[in-house]
Amino acid sequence: MIAVLFFGRIADLAGHRRLDLAAAAGGDSLFALRDRVLAEAIAGGRVDTTAVRMSLNRIERRDDAPVNDGDEVAFFSVFSGG
Amino acid sequence: MDIRLLEQPFDAAAAHSAFLAEHGALGAVASFTGVVRAAASAGEVAHLYLDWYPGMTEASIQGIADAAVERFKVTALCIWHRCGRVEAGHAVVFVGAASPHRRAAFEAVDYAMDRLKSEAAFWKREIGPGVDHWVEPTINDAADLARWVKP
Repeated sequence: MIAVLFFGRIADLAGHRRLDLAAAAGGDSLFALRDRVLAEAIAGGRVDTTAVRMSLNRIERRDDAPVNDGDEVAFFSVFSGG
Repeated sequence: MDIRLLEQPFDAAAAHSAFLAEHGALGAVASFTGVVRAAASAGEVAHLYLDWYPGMTEASIQGIADAAVERFKVTALCIWHRCGRVEAGHAVVFVGAASPHRRAAFEAVDYAMDRLKSEAAFWKREIGPGVDHWVEPTINDAADLARWVKP
């Protein structure tokens, strides 16, 4: 299974804080996973995928990295701390 | 280095006093405390909710602290950052730096704060009567961060 976490505004858009998903047949990737878990928000025009940031196993990624069973993926909005 | 991610309120004055007592003999101690404002452009803020990603958030703060120490050669650095619900009037972040020289201590604190605002893994939500929204980074945040880019 792939643990998929959501933070910030993206958690609201996804309607989840966490999903546990089986990898797609033939393998998964960050972009494919993003488009799958946010499909409703994307279809409704509520999210611009270029504004969705991603991490794989707690390291931020901007590329379409492969995702495998046992990985932890997160999708989130831009940081706003301090 | 003293890096803490705190789910409970902390006493910023006590944090400063302890840091000063431990490192004051170096000669220069600078600090910054960020406090949750009750007033925002959208209205009255009762509290913030700082969403965080356990593990990744701590690593992002540590990376900023490491860079501040490396760049300004301060002898000691302290970053305490709240997460979760933070009431208006409560401290949300404390940064302290100690060095033999004041400029390094000032700059290390300034640098760490600018990077924490934009690069630490937090998502800030303002909540109050009639207010409930995620805070987006501002142009000022980007300009603050750009000050530290070496030509």
